[in-house]
Amino acid sequence: MGALITVLPVFFPILAGICLLPVRFKERKQREQWVLTIVVLNAIFALFAIWSGKAEAFTLFHFSDKLSLELHMDGLSKVFGTMVSVLWILTTIYGFEYMTHEGHEDRFFAFFTMTFGVVLGIAFSGNFLTMYLFYEFLTLVTLPLVMHAMDNKARHAGKMYILYMMFGAALAFIGFVFVYCYGTSIDFVPGGVLNPILVAGHETTLQLVFIAAFFGFGVKAAVFPLYRWLPKASVAPTPVTALLHAVAVVKSGIFAIIRLTYYSFGTDFLVGTVAQNVMLVAAAITIVFGSTVALRTPHIKRRFAYSTVSNLSYIIFGIALMTPLGLAAALMHMIYHAVLKITLFFTAGAVLYKTHREYLYEVEGFGRLMPVTFAAMTITGIGLVGIPPFAGFHSKWALATAAVQGGNPVSYLGILALIISALLTALYVFYIVVRAYFPRNKEYPEGYYDHVQDPNWYMKGPLIILTIASLVLAFTPGPLMEALQRVVMYLN
Amino acid sequence: MGINNSIILPFLVFFPMLGGVVGYIIGRKNKNARDYWAMLVTLLTFGASLLLIGKEEVFQEAGICGLGLLFAGGGLQVILAVLTGAIWFITAIYSKEYFQQDRNRNRYYLFMLLTEGATMGIFLSADFFTTFIFFEIMSFTSFVMVMHDETQEAIRAAHTYLAVAVLGGLVTLMGLFMLYQKTGTLQMDLLQQFMAQQTDKSAFYGIGVLVFFGFAAKAGLFPLHIWLPNAYTLAPAPASALLSCLLTKTGVFGIMMITAKIFFHDAPWGNFMLVLGMITMLMGAILALFSINLKRTLACSSMSQIGFMMVGIAMQGILGEHNALAASGTLLHFINHSMLKLVLFLSAGVVFMNLHELDLNKIKGFGRDKLLLKVVFLMALLGIGGIPFWNGYVSKTLLHESIVEYIHILEEAGQSVLYMKTVEYLFLFAGGLTLAYMTKIFVAVFVEKNSHPLPVQKQGAYLNPVNKVILALCALALPVCGMLPHLTQDRISALGVTFLGAHAPDHAVEYFAWVNLKGAVISLIVGAAVYFLFVRTVLVRENEQGETIYLDRWPAWLNLEDKVYRPILLGILPFIGGFFARLAGTLTDGFISLLRMAIFNSDNARVVPPEDKYFSAYTDGETDKTVYREGFARSLLMIGIGLAIAMLYILI
Repeated sequence: MGALITVLPVFFPILAGICLLPVRFKERKQREQWVLTIVVLNAIFALFAIWSGKAEAFTLFHFSDKLSLELHMDGLSKVFGTMVSVLWILTTIYGFEYMTHEGHEDRFFAFFTMTFGVVLGIAFSGNFLTMYLFYEFLTLVTLPLVMHAMDNKARHAGKMYILYMMFGAALAFIGFVFVYCYGTSIDFVPGGVLNPILVAGHETTLQLVFIAAFFGFGVKAAVFPLYRWLPKASVAPTPVTALLHAVAVVKSGIFAIIRLTYYSFGTDFLVGTVAQNVMLVAAAITIVFGSTVALRTPHIKRRFAYSTVSNLSYIIFGIALMTPLGLAAALMHMIYHAVLKITLFFTAGAVLYKTHREYLYEVEGFGRLMPVTFAAMTITGIGLVGIPPFAGFHSKWALATAAVQGGNPVSYLGILALIISALLTALYVFYIVVRAYFPRNKEYPEGYYDHVQDPNWYMKGPLIILTIASLVLAFTPGPLMEALQRVVMYLN
Repeated sequence: MGINNSIILPFLVFFPMLGGVVGYIIGRKNKNARDYWAMLVTLLTFGASLLLIGKEEVFQEAGICGLGLLFAGGGLQVILAVLTGAIWFITAIYSKEYFQQDRNRNRYYLFMLLTEGATMGIFLSADFFTTFIFFEIMSFTSFVMVMHDETQEAIRAAHTYLAVAVLGGLVTLMGLFMLYQKTGTLQMDLLQQFMAQQTDKSAFYGIGVLVFFGFAAKAGLFPLHIWLPNAYTLAPAPASALLSCLLTKTGVFGIMMITAKIFFHDAPWGNFMLVLGMITMLMGAILALFSINLKRTLACSSMSQIGFMMVGIAMQGILGEHNALAASGTLLHFINHSMLKLVLFLSAGVVFMNLHELDLNKIKGFGRDKLLLKVVFLMALLGIGGIPFWNGYVSKTLLHESIVEYIHILEEAGQSVLYMKTVEYLFLFAGGLTLAYMTKIFVAVFVEKNSHPLPVQKQGAYLNPVNKVILALCALALPVCGMLPHLTQDRISALGVTFLGAHAPDHAVEYFAWVNLKGAVISLIVGAAVYFLFVRTVLVRENEQGETIYLDRWPAWLNLEDKVYRPILLGILPFIGGFFARLAGTLTDGFISLLRMAIFNSDNARVVPPEDKYFSAYTDGETDKTVYREGFARSLLMIGIGLAIAMLYILI
């Protein structure tokens, strides 16, 4: 029974998605009912599996004594699984309305549902091989979502997407092979599995392999210089950009890096080495780079995509500190950024959906006409900048604190990057918000403001819930931080 | 939570905010009810602040916003809270008439009340983190107030205001973060204890400057004053009054806290403050002298007066143990200036609500037949000019005395007094300039004739009776405070100075003794000289009818914002950032294409195709084109395949 609880949330949506594929719903309502039932049901399964405490590890398949497919549940799985499950429901509801203007909803929701299971598979995987498998699978099921529009731009984005992912997977595979060869097992064990007897004498090689694997998983986490697919992929429908490219896919990359660093190679092996410095420097560069480019990007969704590039590296920076405090701060930023960025993408999507305007100079004066949308954008935007007391401040403060306490001189570089980036973030967020509320009194052609109004409750509801969630997280960060610290305590 | 948790302190902070939101909802139904609601909220807040008098209260809420909130009410904080409550209440009453014909009133009232809560939060905070949180909230809410008119100029001024506030806030945050790392606390009392044990403070100066930066930006200190003249001038008058009386003062408050808690009795820090204070004081006064816009003159005057306060703060550090005079001078000037500027900006608002114009040449002669307004303005003029028997004189005398005291100390020690003598004379000179520019606007608005008066835009009397009474009462307070300094001013300062780490002076200051009057007389002479020899000759000319025309003689190229900051921040830095980002972005692709050019001569070195119609195309297309034909992506795939093969080889 305990095994079933673990397996169900992973395979139920995959099977359901496959069953949905050939179905052509006659009516929108019908499809909505089915999809929503599946997603909500699965979210309940997932949350039950995570929080009931009844879930047990389960081995799906044995290849050899060392190689097997295994699902299990630990603190990290719980954090990631909960985050994904909650956000998935909201995105699905938002997607019902949004996708009416993109078309081909049947195909979209089939793959979208499958992706849910795959992401949970990554969250619950108990060893490197299982995670690698689901990780590859994630690339494949999300490709149709990225290319949804099937026009030239979307197909090009799809090609970029899959090639980058394959390259990343190849690098990650190297990491897997070396963990297999030099480790006692391929399971995820806090503190790592490397066998010191085997490792002796091959430290440099293993560090290089770690760097390769880091960049391999870093492709999904959009580490510089492998970030290019992410802004391109913002041609995808907004629910995809919001959930997959701000939360699920990119954070699977982050999640895999955490597993790689803390559970496979182990921080004892990595602390103070070239590998750690490479990670820190790559993160610092990406942080500043992402924000700088975001500031120069007038396309709203791409601007947020670059902002995601920058913010993902905040998380990587926290991971790279390789202290429990650093990891806790990273996880905290992962959750905050998930809530904030998904909301920002939703608002951008709402504007796009209602008005077909995509560039920030086109949305001047929309603030009053779309009050809910822009209120949400303002609140979460300020949070993203990290201005207290809004969300985002605490995680950045925790990151900086962890960096100072880590004591690695390279990590001061990261603090500098955090500060520069905070300023740039302020600029690229406020530019939109301020212009939206206070237009520059330009003459607009007649009918420019037609149809500029808040979307209906399918889209407004998730926006409001998420904005309130960000405020709640902002004002009471204490319980969350404690929970995360409990998660990372096992690492010591 | 602490044991003696006060309910008043959080009430003062959060009730106005809540009231603002409720007011917004009311305002959608009934505008009049909303106006009265705003008055009620500010009145209740004011009443609650009075309850604090004579008490020591603490409120702590750990866990909220990470590091927790800590408020304390006692001495200085109580004075400032009462001041905030009173001024906000007066402004709320005044606003009803001022905004009668305006749009967006609902928004204004919402943000006005939100700002009141935030300002209370700053003044009551006992923890730099709490200060900072409310400081940021206040920056954002007051931004909307500055922006209120939504004219091109107002938007531009508000943008500058926001930019300076955000930049300053982030720098301060960095400083606070470093301070927290070094000391492990941001609570003011604990910081003071910690710093008292440090023998070598040199490591803290850098941090101090960072923390100081944001507060200095808010206080309008040189060279971060660029936002101030425009924002004050273009905001609606009640908002300008609030900005000048309280919001800018939050910056001064922050600087006072840094000086009193972190760099207590620290001479190098004091000298740093002194230089900045002197520059701001003189620069503000000169800008005010040249301005030909009523509110702009008042704005630059605020800047100059903040320079006076900075001198007081500086003298607290420099004088060390003997800082009683400087501390009470700073505090009293803080309060007196708020009272004076309230009257002045509200009077300027009367001019604007009648004429919708602030240019001296156009509003000239407006107040000739308005006796009440004339008297009210005159009271404020005499107060801010530091004329004996008005309140400004008391605080300026104290500040002046603190400089003189230091000169005495230097003389006794046999050290050179040249530097401090210069400071003293510049201080008196700036006092003289204050008189000159105030006289300039007074003469223009209330004395001179105007053959082409602007049509009055307002219906009914130029000011309704309620506001007349309020203005008169506020103006009456100025000479009352000035004539009874021992009864009013000394008591206030006695309440507050302990917080700044000073004892009350050993004996009461003889304000009206000749030795103290001398400074005022010097300033008076300087003021008269500047007015008659400079303003009446250089800054005006006479037209054919014998009327004076005020000239804008300020060189246009002397504009720090347009000539330095905006080009750097909007042109040069983004270019450099964009350049490096693009360089970095093309590094990978460029490297590949370089390689490709080197190896395959035939390739056209196109880096990334803008779009790709062949990949997974369902339509008929050319079939001879392969999917992975070009670009970095293909190369990545090749590397990936190569690596996979290499791995297989190693394994097998």
